[in-house]
Amino acid sequence: MIIQIDKLNKHYEKHQALKEVSLSVQTGSIFGLLGPNGAGKTSLIRILTQITEADSGTILFNGEALHPKHIYQMGYLPEERGLYKKMTVKDQVLYFAELKGLSNSQAKEKLKYWVDKFEIKSWLGKKVEELSKGMQQKIQFISTVIHEPKLIILDEPFSGFDPINAQILVDEILLLKEKGASILFSTHRMDSVELLCDHIALINHSEKILDGNVKELKQAFKKNQYEIKYSGQALTTLELMQLVETQMNDGIVTQLFQIPDGVHINQLLQSLLQEPISLISFQEKLPSMEDIFISAVQQKNLTN
Amino acid sequence: MHKIWLICKREYLTRVMKKSFLVMTLLSPILIVLFYGLIFYFSFNKDIAEEHKTIWVNDSSEVFINKIENSKNLMFVYNTSTLEEAYQSLKNQDIYGILSIQKTQDKFSYNLLSYEQPGLSTLSNLESKLENVLKRKHLEANGIDTSIIQKLNAIQIKINTKKYSNETEESGDSGATTIVGFIGAFLIYFFIFLYGVQVMKGVIEEKTNRIVEVIISSVKPFQLMLGKITGIALVGFTQFSIWVLLVVSLSAPVSSLVMNLANIDPSSLAQGAANSGGAGAGILAGFTQINLPLILGMFLFYFIGGYLFYGALFAAVGSAVDNETDTQQFMLPITMPLIFSIAIAQSVINSPGSDLAFYLSIIPFSSPVIMMIRLPFGVPVSEILLSMAAMVAGFLFTTWLAARIYRIGILTFGKKPTYAELFKWLFRKN
Repeated sequence: MIIQIDKLNKHYEKHQALKEVSLSVQTGSIFGLLGPNGAGKTSLIRILTQITEADSGTILFNGEALHPKHIYQMGYLPEERGLYKKMTVKDQVLYFAELKGLSNSQAKEKLKYWVDKFEIKSWLGKKVEELSKGMQQKIQFISTVIHEPKLIILDEPFSGFDPINAQILVDEILLLKEKGASILFSTHRMDSVELLCDHIALINHSEKILDGNVKELKQAFKKNQYEIKYSGQALTTLELMQLVETQMNDGIVTQLFQIPDGVHINQLLQSLLQEPISLISFQEKLPSMEDIFISAVQQKNLTN
Repeated sequence: MHKIWLICKREYLTRVMKKSFLVMTLLSPILIVLFYGLIFYFSFNKDIAEEHKTIWVNDSSEVFINKIENSKNLMFVYNTSTLEEAYQSLKNQDIYGILSIQKTQDKFSYNLLSYEQPGLSTLSNLESKLENVLKRKHLEANGIDTSIIQKLNAIQIKINTKKYSNETEESGDSGATTIVGFIGAFLIYFFIFLYGVQVMKGVIEEKTNRIVEVIISSVKPFQLMLGKITGIALVGFTQFSIWVLLVVSLSAPVSSLVMNLANIDPSSLAQGAANSGGAGAGILAGFTQINLPLILGMFLFYFIGGYLFYGALFAAVGSAVDNETDTQQFMLPITMPLIFSIAIAQSVINSPGSDLAFYLSIIPFSSPVIMMIRLPFGVPVSEILLSMAAMVAGFLFTTWLAARIYRIGILTFGKKPTYAELFKWLFRKN
C-alpha cells in the first residue's frame, strides 16, 4: 500500500470538510477519488500533499507515518494550476524539479527525456506566456512528474484539457503506472475514469460512501439488466422479462430488459428467438459510475 | 535552507535578468537628479516661477511715493496717470494691480485691487517692502543716517558649531549633518517602499497565476515568503551597488563641473572650512567631521532591518488579497507610519535630542528613518543599541505575524478578508 488513510477528520471554521475518511491506495494502481464539487476531495489531497494538516486521523506513506520528506516522492498537479508567465519553459521546469529535490544536473537530464518525448525542444527558450494553453498543460504535467515520484496526485486533471491533450495525459498516466508509479486522482466527472481506474472511492458531503475495485463494484451494483439491439417491430412485452426502456433509431431498436430473480439469462434469449425480429447484439448492461454513485448515495440516505 | 536559496535565486534572477531592470537602474538616478535639480532650480530662481508685476500705487498720504524699493518681480509706478487710466490698464492687464494707501489719523490702510488673487509670496514680498519704507521713515525721522541703516541691513550672522564629546571639541556643521541624515533617511524610506511593494506584487502574482499551490506542495509557505523577501532584497542591493558605483565614478567629474560652474576654487575649500568663509564650503568641511563609518554601518543595518520589517507586512497584504486594487485598505496602516516618519523628519532635525525624536528612533515602525536623521547629530551608544534590539525584535515579530497570515492567505481566494478575519488567521491551525 502506498497510501493508507485511517479515520481522517478535517474541519474549517464553519464546515466539516472530511469526516472519518478511511481509504487505501495500492502500490502501482490507479485510484480515483470521485465525488461532486465540494465533497471534500481537494481537502483530502491537500492533507496528503501536506499543504494543510488534518484535525485527527493517521496517514501512512509506504508504511511510514506521513513526513515532510515524503513530498519528494509525490508529484502534485492541483486543480488550480499555473506557471510563472515571464519565465522560460526550461527555467520553469528546472526550478520545479530542484524544488522537488533534484540536483541541477539531474533535473537537466530528466528534462531532456521529456523534451525528446514530447518533441518540444523549440519551446525551451520561450516564455510561458508565449505558449498556447495546450502547451502550457504539457509543461505543467512534465513539472509534476519530472522527479519520478512514487505517488502522482492529480486534482481534476482533465478540467481544461482539450480531447487530444486529455488522451495524451491518459496515455502518460498509464505509462507511468506501468513503470511502477501509483496514481491518485480526483474528479467530479465520474464517467471519465471508468476505463482508467483500478480502484475508486466515492466521497459525498465529506464522507466516504463507497470504495473498492471498479470491476467488483460494477458487479456488485449491477441490476441484472441486458441490452438487446435488433431490427424489426419494437417489442412491447416479453415473457417473464421486465422492459426497462426502449429506443429507436433508423429502424434499429435498442431495448433494456431486467431479468427477475430466479430467472436464467438463457430464458431471455429463448424468448427473443421466438419473436419475429433479426437480432443484432446482446450484452449485459453494467451500471455506470454515475449510476453507482446515485445508488450508493440513496442507500446511505436510507440507512441514516 | 536549500529551498529558501532556490526561491531566492529565482526571485533574484527573474528580476535582474530583465531588460527593464538595467534600464531603470541606469535611468532612475538620472531621473532623480533631474527631478531634484528642477526643484532646486525653481526654488533658487524664483524669477522663473514668478512673473514680472507692475503695481500702480495710489497713495493719498504721499508717504510711500517713490520710496518703495523696486525689484525684479515687482515694479511700482506712482501717479504717472490718472486713476481712470489706471483702471483701464488694469482692465487690459497692462498693470498687475492698484495699491491704494489711505491714512486716517495715525493709521494706514492698504488695499490691493488686482485681476487675480495674488500669491502668498507676492503678498508677503509687498508687505515687507511697505514695512521697510515705514521703518526707514521712522529711523530717519529720529535722526539716524541712511548709511547706518544700510550697515544695519547688511548684518548677517553664521554660528560655528562645535560638539563637546570625550573631552575634546569637534567642530560640526548643522547643514552637513542635516543633509547626511536626510539623505540616509530618504534612501531607506524609498527602498522600503519600492521593494516592499515588489514583494507584495510578487505574492499577488503567484496567487493570481494559481502557481502557489504547486509551490506550496514542495516548500513551506514560510520558506516561500522568506525566499521571496530575501531575493527581492538582493535585487535592491544590486541596484543600490550599481548606483553607488555610478556615483563614485561620476562624482569626481561632476563635482569639478559643479565647482567650475559655481566658481569655487578647490584650494579655497580647506581654507574656507577653517575660517568658515562661505556657507557651502562650511557644509563640505562639515562632512569630514561626521563619523561616516558609523553612519554607513547603521545605514546598512536599518536599510536591511527596515526592509525586513516592512517587507514581511507587504507580503502578508499581498497574500490576503486576489488583486492589486484590493490592497489599498490594508496598505494604509503599513504606509502611514512610513510617511509619518518622513513628514516628521523636519521637526526631528530641528531638535534631534527631543523626547519625540528619542521614542520615534526606538519604535521599529519609524526607527529606520528617524534614527538615520538623528545619527549625524550624535546619539548615545545605549540608545543606538536599544533601537537596534527593538528593530531585530520588530522584524522577527512582523515576520511571524506575516507568516501566519500568509500561509492561510495564499490559498484563500474570492472575497477580500476583513481585519477581523485576518486576526482569526493568526491563530488558526494549519
